Order: sequence, then C-alpha cells, then structure tokens
Amino acid sequence: MKTASKFVAREDLSGLARRDFLKVGLGFSVALSVAGALGGCSESAKAPAQGLAFLQAGDVALFSAIAPAIIDDLAKLDAGQRNARVADLLRNLDSTCSALGMASQQELRKLLDLLAMAPLRYVLAGVGAWNEASVETLQAFLARWRGSRFATLNAGGNVLVKLTAASYYVLPVSWPAAGYPGPLSHVFNTLHS
Amino acid sequence: MAIPDIYTEGIASGWKVIDASTLTAPQTLEADVAIIGSGAGGGVAAEILSLAGLKVLLLEEGPLKTSDSFKDMDEARAYRDLYQEAAARATSDGAIAVMQGRAVGGSTTVNWTSSFRTPAPTLKFWASDREVVGHGVDEMKPWFEKMEERLGVAPGVVPPNANNSVLTRGCDALGWEAHVIPRNVKGCWNTGYCGFGCPVNAKQSMLVSTIPVALQNGATLVHRLRVQQLQYADGKITGAVGEARGKDGRTATGVALTIKAKHFIAAGGSINTPALLLRSALPDPHKILGKRTFIHPVVLTVAEMPEQIDPFYGAPQSVASDHFQWKDGATGPMGYKLEVPPIFPGIGSGVFNNFGEPLRKEMAALPHTNAVLALLRDGFVAQSEGGSVRLAADGSPMLDYDLSDYVWDGARRAYLSMAELQFAAGAQRVRPAHLDGSYVSSWNEAKRAIAELPMKKFRTTLFTAHLMGGCGMSENPTRGVVNSRGRHHQIGNLSVFDGSVFPTSIGANPQLSIYGLTAQNASALVKDLGR
Repeated sequence: MKTASKFVAREDLSGLARRDFLKVGLGFSVALSVAGALGGCSESAKAPAQGLAFLQAGDVALFSAIAPAIIDDLAKLDAGQRNARVADLLRNLDSTCSALGMASQQELRKLLDLLAMAPLRYVLAGVGAWNEASVETLQAFLARWRGSRFATLNAGGNVLVKLTAASYYVLPVSWPAAGYPGPLSHVFNTLHS
Repeated sequence: MAIPDIYTEGIASGWKVIDASTLTAPQTLEADVAIIGSGAGGGVAAEILSLAGLKVLLLEEGPLKTSDSFKDMDEARAYRDLYQEAAARATSDGAIAVMQGRAVGGSTTVNWTSSFRTPAPTLKFWASDREVVGHGVDEMKPWFEKMEERLGVAPGVVPPNANNSVLTRGCDALGWEAHVIPRNVKGCWNTGYCGFGCPVNAKQSMLVSTIPVALQNGATLVHRLRVQQLQYADGKITGAVGEARGKDGRTATGVALTIKAKHFIAAGGSINTPALLLRSALPDPHKILGKRTFIHPVVLTVAEMPEQIDPFYGAPQSVASDHFQWKDGATGPMGYKLEVPPIFPGIGSGVFNNFGEPLRKEMAALPHTNAVLALLRDGFVAQSEGGSVRLAADGSPMLDYDLSDYVWDGARRAYLSMAELQFAAGAQRVRPAHLDGSYVSSWNEAKRAIAELPMKKFRTTLFTAHLMGGCGMSENPTRGVVNSRGRHHQIGNLSVFDGSVFPTSIGANPQLSIYGLTAQNASALVKDLGR
C-alpha cells in the first residue's frame, strides 16, 4: 500500500462527512453504520490486547504505525529502540484511555473501530494495512483530517496526534529532544539524598 | 533531606483515614456532617465544622497522595494519580481539554497557587444581576483576609521566572496593566512543580492545611470512595451511598458504604457536584441544575524567545494582566485575564498539537518557548450562558459547552493581545495554538494572520482549568439551585460549598474565591446547626 500517499480520500462521498453540521460524536456513529453496511468486521467485539486495559490489537497496530509519523525521532531509530519506546508510549496511552469517562471512551472507541475497518480506512484515511503504510502516507492522512472542513475529521486527527505525542513526551527518554533536563536537579537531589 | 510526610505522621498519631480500596465488607459510617469532595470547598468546610465540634466525615473519590509520592516530580505520574480522567477529561464533544484535580485536596493539590480575591465587578454583578446577597466587596473582605492569613497568601516572594517575565516585559513596553500574583505558599522552593503535587509541602493546598487540622479535630477522611447517590425523602437527604474504588482509583470493588449524617455538603466541584445531584434525582423544579457551568475558556499563543526561558522551572504563575478584563465593564465585549502557563514536555506537545518535523522543531525549541494564555470571562451576558452538565449511561458526568460568536470574538481579540505582548517582549516568532496558526515574525504579520483565522472548535486549541457554576446561587429559586449561603432551595439539610455555586465565572483563578465564600457560608452553617 505504499502508493496510498497519492490517494486522496474523497471525504465528500462519505456518509461521515456529508453534512458539516453533524455533531462530532454522531459523525463517527454514522460512519460506523456505513461501515456495517459495507460488511465491516462487526462480529469482532474485541478484547484488550495482552497487557493492556483499553487498546485492542487493531488499535495497537494503528498507534504503532502513526507514532513515528507523529514523533519524528522515532522514525530515525533502529527497529529495536523504536519498538521499545513505542511499547512505553502505548502503555501510557492505554492508561490514559482507561481513565477516561464512559462517554469519552465510547467516542474514542468509535474512532478506533472505524479506523480498524480496512474498506472505510482506505476511503476515509487513504491508508491500507497499518504496518505497510509509509510515514508519508500516514502524515498525509493526519494532515488531510486536520485540514478538513469537517469538524469530525479535525477532532479525530487531533485526538490521535495529541494522545500519541503526550504519551511519548512524558517519557524521560524523550526529554533530551525537548530540552528538558528533567526534574529540577538541586531540588530532586536534595529530596532524594 | 527528607520532607516529613504529614499523613504518615498523622495517621501514626491516630488520624482516622480510611482507604476504601482496602475494605472487603459493606459498612455504615455516621457523622454530624458528611462532606462529599475534599477540594477547596470541602477542605475549608471540614476545618471550620470540625473546629466547631461537629463530627465530620470527608469523602473523596480520588486517592490520598502525599508529598512522599510527589518527590519524583514526574508529569506522567501526576496526570495518572491526581487529575480527573488522567488529565484527559474534555467537554462531551472533545473540543475543550479539562484540567481538574482528583485526589485528596482536589484541584488545590495540583493548581498553580494563583490566589485572587473575587474581583469587585464580579461580586457587584452577582448582587445586581443574579440576586445574590451577603457577598458584597465589604462583606467578603474579612473572609478573604481570614483565608489569606490561613493559607499564607501573599504576593510573590520570589522574582518571576523567565516565562512570567515575558508577560511583565511586554506589558511594561505597551503600558498595559500588570500585577504580581498572590500565591498560597509558605517557604516556597520556587521549583515549578505545583501542578504535579508540591514535593516540599510549601503550597498550602487543602491536603496540607485544612484537612490535617480537621483530622486532628476528629474528622474522618475516606478516600477512593465515589459517592454515587444522595438518598432523598420528605424534603431531606436521608443518607448517601458510596462505592469503593480499587487501588487504581477507578475500578469499582463492589464494596458499598452507607453514609448517615444530619447535614450533607456537596463539594465535588463543578461538573461532579451537579452530576451527583442529577444522579440522585433531587428536586429541580426550574430545570437549572447543571446549567450555567462556566469554564474560563483558555486560548494560547506560543512564542520563541531569544533568551533561555525554561518554561518548566520556577514558580509557574507570578504575574498577570487585567488590562483587557474590565475595560468595557462587566457586560461589554468579552473580557480576559492574561497569564502564563508552565510548559512541561507532555502538556507542551498538546499545546503545540503538531506532528512530524514541525513538532520535533517546536519541542526542541521548548527551552526558548514562552506561552501566554487568556482566561475568557464567561457568564456575564446573554450570549455567554456557559455549558451544561448531563449524565452518561453509567452516571458519570459529561459537560456540553458551546462557544457563541461573542466568545469567539473574545478569543480572537485575546490572540491579538497575546501576540502583541509577546512581540513587545522581544519574541522572534509567535503563533496561536490553532490548527491554522503559522509562525509569524512581526506584530504586523500577526495582526493579518489572526484576523483571518477560522474560529471554530477543533481548529482552535481550547483548555479549561477553572470549572465554575452548575449549582449557581441566587435568592431567587427560579435562578439558583442554592441560596446565597449555599443552602439548597428545596432540601433543608443539603449545602453546596464549592465553585459550582458561582453564578458566573470569576474573572480570575478561582481558588481563593472558593476559600473565602466557603469560609463565610460554612461559618453561617455552624450557627444554623446550633454550634
């Protein structure tokens, strides 16, 4: 699916984006019903991935793929280092999602379920299999959603970017790239002496 | 050097502190007064009522976390342990991020210490337009003085850090009003970690001030206990039902607690207090419960400065500007207060809301980054009626909040003010925290760019850290859930002592407004209860 970066999602054709007065939550509900009509994998009421409380296997594939598209530094690491950092990022992200209230969890679940369905993902995001998509393809997807005139897509693009970035930049391993030396050293050292 | 952990010592000396996650069987707890929520309102009420000799039960959904667990000075731990929904709470549509505390001490455990008296125009508006009595400027003065004295509130004793100095310098260059922020600290180490729980017990949060005094005076604190419902019959609250939460602070353990008390005080703060009353299906004859919830919508601009800023270190907020707050009166075009937020890497990435190379560059520039924020003063005109709390299927709260053209106009003017200020302070480049906000390198360019920004949800980065209203006070029962003394209009033995009683937003960081008002109303309640 490396050619997908050239694919421009025709959001105007989608049930999701037909009307720009759609409420955000409703937008994803509409899209999911479209997905159901397309034969999406509705039978897969899935369990959380191993060791996680909220994220399912498909979500892990999504965030593992988009993490290097959002965090430039990850793309430059070798696979071993990248996978280790992404695993830490995913644990933070999962713990944040687990703490969300029911309504927020349901909205997020709609978005993630939508993106887990291959036909709809291709139409709306221009992405085929997550693990085959290039960084450029994924950045084009995020840019398109965030640049859309449809609030629903803006919302989806924002939440993917913010959840991923914040889950990464709270990791101490990320701090050198943010110029943050860590806890104020003289105080930290005093408290731990 | 170890910082003495107040609670380790206190519990050893006999304080009654119950971690509900450890309970294995149902229990009934009885008291004169049960207080639901241990933040600014609940903490002050607990101290005053227990000092008056009343048997107090203080109930908190969040965990008891103390200075021992704050000494890692870690952003991820703080969000996970101390904030509502791990700091990922948002309005129901996801458009506005909500930073709200959830631990013993409530938001006072994690706030940035800014301590302003309720501005006089706000108090006057409440009296003239919302039928509030007893809370005029002169009537409130002794209560603010009392709480300032109690919590060490004084203008900054340390010089502003580089991040706050940008605001001072910009205001000075432009001839704008600016003032030093009074802070509730004693022996502040000037670290900058107020938002993660003060590691040295300098911040006079409820956690280290009023709650310990209440415990010394016989109060019982139960934490990791979610009060699910108030039971109502024949015009009064007959009890409350609590559900224990597990070690994670969120998962129900299945152990129920029954609370019996003569008087109940709802002090869960805006969002959670209206939600508790809604879950309990209490009388709401005028359908106003949860309405008029105010948030001080926050917009920001970020600037790259030539000098080192290190926006993570040093007292997080020490100067502010009210230049645009009251210039058109309380009811003119929307006013706003200008302040500076601390920026740690995690929250910084959320403010930047970028990806790929642009995010990498902005993160790398963090040590030279200043952000200015505007607190938009909502609730003073008909076009700004605030948001509305409702319940999800499981009874958890949701906040609907829409922004009218009136609010968007305020947000756009705030962008202009903040960019002008940052350039006046020497910024090399500035951008609004907005999906369409690109860096510009001069004030003239900024004016043009900001004039064209589409002011829409999800394009505009919006935050709130100040939740107010939803159980507003008024002498008129058609306009207020409670009266001016915080007593519920329809229920004799229920008071609301927290920010949810505010009839509008405050127009300044609200903690001292909650302290002063609660001190006054809790003292009145002591007399009402015959003490």
